[in-house]
Amino acid sequence: MEMKITKLQRTFKEGLNNFYRNGWLSFATVSILAISLYIISSTAIISVASSIALKNIQDKIDVRVYFNPDVEDNKIQEIKNKLAEYQEIKAINFVSKDRALEQFKIDNAENPKIKTALDQFDENPLLSSLVINAKSPDQYDIIVSAISGSSFAGEVSSIDYKQNKDAINRLITIIKIVEQVGLTLGIVFIFIGVLITFNAIRLTMYAHKQEFEIMRLVGASNIYIRMPFIFEGIFYGVSSAVSVILALFITSKFLAPVTQGSISGGDVMDFYLGHFFVIFGLLLVSGIALGTISAAIAIRRYLKI
Amino acid sequence: MLKFENVSKIYPGDFVALEDINLKIEQGEFVSIVGHSGAGKSTLLKLLYAEERPTSGIVSFNERSLDSINRKHLPFYRRNVGTVFQDFKLLPQKTAYENVAYALEVAGEPDEEIAQRVPEILDIVGMSNKMGKYPRQLSGGEQQRVCMARALVHHPLLIIADEPTGNLDPISTWEIIQLLLKINSLGTTILLATHNKVIVDKLSRRVVEIEDGKVIRDNEKGKYSSVRVGAQSLQ
Repeated sequence: MEMKITKLQRTFKEGLNNFYRNGWLSFATVSILAISLYIISSTAIISVASSIALKNIQDKIDVRVYFNPDVEDNKIQEIKNKLAEYQEIKAINFVSKDRALEQFKIDNAENPKIKTALDQFDENPLLSSLVINAKSPDQYDIIVSAISGSSFAGEVSSIDYKQNKDAINRLITIIKIVEQVGLTLGIVFIFIGVLITFNAIRLTMYAHKQEFEIMRLVGASNIYIRMPFIFEGIFYGVSSAVSVILALFITSKFLAPVTQGSISGGDVMDFYLGHFFVIFGLLLVSGIALGTISAAIAIRRYLKI
Repeated sequence: MLKFENVSKIYPGDFVALEDINLKIEQGEFVSIVGHSGAGKSTLLKLLYAEERPTSGIVSFNERSLDSINRKHLPFYRRNVGTVFQDFKLLPQKTAYENVAYALEVAGEPDEEIAQRVPEILDIVGMSNKMGKYPRQLSGGEQQRVCMARALVHHPLLIIADEPTGNLDPISTWEIIQLLLKINSLGTTILLATHNKVIVDKLSRRVVEIEDGKVIRDNEKGKYSSVRVGAQSLQ
């Protein structure tokens, strides 16, 4: 047991020595690994951030159903309860005409003309309404046609869906494109990244090829020969993860002004800082996995005897 | 101590490197193996440090067939055998000290022991003043002495030297041979494959000559070429 720990320490030191004594080769390998990880992670961040941004917009979309002025509040409440049973509907809120007026006054407090215009009315000119959020934007069509065809269609004064329809449809298209492009690019870049990294590490191992023979001759076991290179793979992974997290920081800082307010009310930098540990953790795990697995596979062929 | 019984080695493509070799070497002997390039000297030595396995026949070390050692235990066997080569085979990223220490590290020797034995052995081969140098900073003779130190550090029972002086000038060559003799005088068996006629003649020890994969001569206190003196002197 003690001997195993000694050997583990020695192979670790060995790996560390390999790493910095082969400075140039290590630098090249880490750069390639880092570039792959950078491309993969920025693709991932772009698609996650843009889908968050789109979800935010999506939450702001709603459909308002206005009722005729003679429809009683409790009748509307009844309709609301009935609609709430539809599974396509995520949320449904009742806005009474009094609340609508209050909100309208607040919204236009700065505008004295509207205030005077409102004062002309003896009665509240606004209508009571139900505000409906669908689970997904492509369900508004069904919801609207369901309401238009329902038993209470006669009480409905208007539905402000037609005006929003184009915007909603455009959003649906954008979401689908972003998801598909993000996924495709992600897969392509991951594939390229793995391939490049694997080959770079294989070349590094090739440079050590003659050493394996020497190590065997002086009585090193295969595990003892292999361990330093596994550690070297870990160092590649850690160094490239650290470089990529720095590179992403710089990129986010650079892009922050452009993306102001687009992601959950913040910018790309807020997203980066908010998810720092998740991003860094994933980078570390994938960097180390890529580095060690490539090293292990690459070294196998040189340890046949 | 070493025994070859009807050993043949045939490489893929029906290339016969060794054919029906029978040879016995006792503990403490100093044996020179001579023969043309490609005669099979290196193959014979490779069988001994288990880099290659015989196609047929048995190679045994202290009564134990090398074939019966499983792969996992080969490193342990190799620690009983020191090897020295024409191209030195030092690890380029390690200093002279680290190259020698490596042979002990792989065996799991404790640090204190390594720190004590490595300078000792480097002193024996006369390299104690260049322990911190990398192989590229050393001359051929110096590199070969580091190799000797590495081969010796385990106190092996057998040293296999494959053309150890092939890349060295006459003075370094002689220094290496002196070292081998010194090691031999302490009881270690030496197997020396060489082309160097002067050395073999001067040593006046056992000579085994190999030609076309067969042992054609085995003389106690032999010369480089006793059979074909005339042919040699014409060169």
